[in-house]
Amino acid sequence: MWKRIYQWIDERVHLEDVVDFLGKKYVPVHSHSVWYYFGGVSLFLFIIQVVTGILLLLYYKGTEDLAFESIHYIMSKVEFGWLIRSIHSWAANLFVLAAMIHMFSVYFTRAYRKPREITWLTGMILFLLALAFGFSGYLLPWNQLAFFATKVGTDIVRSVPVVGEPLLTFLRAGEEVTGATLSRFFGFHVAVLPGIFTVFLAIHLILVQRQGMSEPMELESAAPSTKRTMPFFPNFLLRDLLLWLIVLNVLAILAVFFPWELGEKADPFAPAFAGIKPEWYFMFMFQTLKYIPSHVLFIDGDTFGVLMFSVGGVLWMLVPFWDQRTKRGERSRFITYLGIFLVAYVILFTILGYLS
Amino acid sequence: MIKLLAAIFGLVMFVTGLFAQRGPRTDQCLTCHEAISDRNAALYRSDVHYQRGVTCAGCHGGNASQEEMEHAMDPRAGYIGVPKGDAVTAACAKCHSNSEEMAKYRSSIPVQQAEEIASSIHGKSALSGRERLVQCTTCHGAHGILSAKNPASPVHPLKVTALCSKCHSGASYMRNYNPSLPVDQMEKYRTSEHGMRNAKGDAKVAECVSCHGSHEIRAAKDVKSLVYPTNIAQTCAKCHSNKDYMKGYRIPTDQFDKYASSVHGKSLLVKGDLAAPACNSCHGNHGAMPPGVSSISKVCGTCHVMNADLFAASPHKKAFDAKKLPECETCHGSHEIIAATDRLLGVSEGAVCRTCHTTEVSPKGYEVARTMRALIDSLDLGERQTAELVAEAEQKGMEISEAKFRFRDVRQARLQAKTLVHSFDEAKFAETVKRGMSVTEEVQREAQNAIEEYYFRRWGLGISTLIITVLAIALYFAIRRIEKHQSTG
Repeated sequence: MWKRIYQWIDERVHLEDVVDFLGKKYVPVHSHSVWYYFGGVSLFLFIIQVVTGILLLLYYKGTEDLAFESIHYIMSKVEFGWLIRSIHSWAANLFVLAAMIHMFSVYFTRAYRKPREITWLTGMILFLLALAFGFSGYLLPWNQLAFFATKVGTDIVRSVPVVGEPLLTFLRAGEEVTGATLSRFFGFHVAVLPGIFTVFLAIHLILVQRQGMSEPMELESAAPSTKRTMPFFPNFLLRDLLLWLIVLNVLAILAVFFPWELGEKADPFAPAFAGIKPEWYFMFMFQTLKYIPSHVLFIDGDTFGVLMFSVGGVLWMLVPFWDQRTKRGERSRFITYLGIFLVAYVILFTILGYLS
Repeated sequence: MIKLLAAIFGLVMFVTGLFAQRGPRTDQCLTCHEAISDRNAALYRSDVHYQRGVTCAGCHGGNASQEEMEHAMDPRAGYIGVPKGDAVTAACAKCHSNSEEMAKYRSSIPVQQAEEIASSIHGKSALSGRERLVQCTTCHGAHGILSAKNPASPVHPLKVTALCSKCHSGASYMRNYNPSLPVDQMEKYRTSEHGMRNAKGDAKVAECVSCHGSHEIRAAKDVKSLVYPTNIAQTCAKCHSNKDYMKGYRIPTDQFDKYASSVHGKSLLVKGDLAAPACNSCHGNHGAMPPGVSSISKVCGTCHVMNADLFAASPHKKAFDAKKLPECETCHGSHEIIAATDRLLGVSEGAVCRTCHTTEVSPKGYEVARTMRALIDSLDLGERQTAELVAEAEQKGMEISEAKFRFRDVRQARLQAKTLVHSFDEAKFAETVKRGMSVTEEVQREAQNAIEEYYFRRWGLGISTLIITVLAIALYFAIRRIEKHQSTG
């Protein structure tokens, strides 16, 4: 039966090539192989986001009057609505976490080096889009916390030199965070961002398949006989699947034991309350801005912070192009220490953000 | 003997010294002004200041010992003429705000009146914007000032109401300062117990100053005012809780203590709820008088409108009138009113119905009271059980805000039932209680469903986790099998 179906398809689309390609595809096996799986986990979580997002879209209404009520309806009346919403919220956070681990693992193993510069670049764009997904999705329940966090978050955009004000007006669809902002964020979240994300994800995945897994620098020069590999299909794919099942289990436990709260409906006239915090993955930047004095030299403190993060982000994105030692095949301690510093910085400032 | 002579000498010296301090000094101003029949000079002879030895120069400046007018009224000698505006109060304050100066005259009058006037509503109100509305002379007069204890003084307790009403009863005058302030205080005061006794010469009863203060008078809406809602009970208690002071009036002196522990007193004095009644809310302020038996329900009904209306239409109204029972007070008390709980209803211990209704005297009323109590108790029990279920569902993290919102109807029904008690209509009461009971059942069902859903989720999670785990284990063994096969093959 299966054979007949396979033959039927093969006659039409020539599956042979694909099977042949997969059969020849090997994944290096070494002490850092575990990091390979985080790309797959990120992909799995993204797929969950797409599926649960579409299900939520069946009931969600992206207007000021109905957004909160529709989510409330999803959570209380729709069969398994509470589960879908909770999984969507948890998977969003785990997706950013997995993508972050994936990014740092690629960085530390120097997998961004030639010939994978474009893969790194597309990955970085995908990561930034994931953050944009998180930021835009955070407002959609239209609750108090989301409203004020978005207000504070978008306010930071004001500090961008030259284009700050127009950018703020574009993001908020006006001077303030209103129902128009919600509609706009909803549009970004379900149409604009998924469209762009799909394009970059396709490029990223095609490149990964074309170029295969990067092996660590120290293994490159090793004799071929000493290198260990495993077939991508079925060995690596089944291992990926195993991890996906574990992640699914973790997600289910989180969604049931720690259901995502809805809180109070946003009231634009209510005074901003203490303890407004962004999502955890923005916390280190938010906390840094708090420590920057009101003026650094002649620059406004917030503008300085935004500039600092922008320049840092661009440099991070362009690491395959300025990291000369790795290009030459040498081990760069600076890159390692910079990565360690950044990981420590993000962790420390995130903790400080939650403690303050 | 020497000691005795020394004591007599000392006494003589003290008395003469005292006379020298207090007695009128030679006042050339007065001598001349009396000679020209100046009315103010004649008045000054009776002035308390003259009695204490203050000369005309005390207020007008100059040198009162000079016979020549140009010397006596020489500006270089400090002569200021007739002080005008705020200079009047400043002239008085020269001595009256100076404790050392006042000590010379052996006066025990407080020395902060000028400051008090400045911060009072009279001190702050100024029509011209330049000078205070009220100066010392406005109330005390200028040249014939008498001690406040002197019955002829305009600020004596028996006269002060007339003094205040000179301005406060003038509608056209008061319009200049506060158009919304009533001008009928004096009219009302005359009808009050205080006013009637005052008119008969009782200087101990409250008049304007007793409640509003004298120099420090503040607007009633000022939180520091003696008649601000949260202060008024204390103000009344100054006299009404003073057993010695109230001796002879034959009224209790425990009203404040009772009020302070009442539901009204706690609301106003502890919680600061300005909507809660103070003494004047029931007794009136300027026309203060205990409400008569027949008007008690009207007084309470100004706030408790529904209860008063229901009671007026109930069979109890007629019965209470016939027995001359004070309506609300009979069951709830007066100053000591506590929060009306269900305990008051029925025929059990602590219930007020059983005071009149017993199985022998009024069996029908007894039965109605018993049934109504049973009904409200069942609603109360249902409400508590529902609240527990809702709390349990919430504590389990379930979303039951709609049921919670609906639960408010139970409380509403209970409050309505408590109000309907005053109709003493068993059928109406039962209908409201049953409405509340049906809501409790509905909310209990929803809360119960939410709790069951909670366990369903837990079981669902358990089963799905088990399936996923089994799948994962199977996959793990499949991988191992494949790899084993690869390595051997």
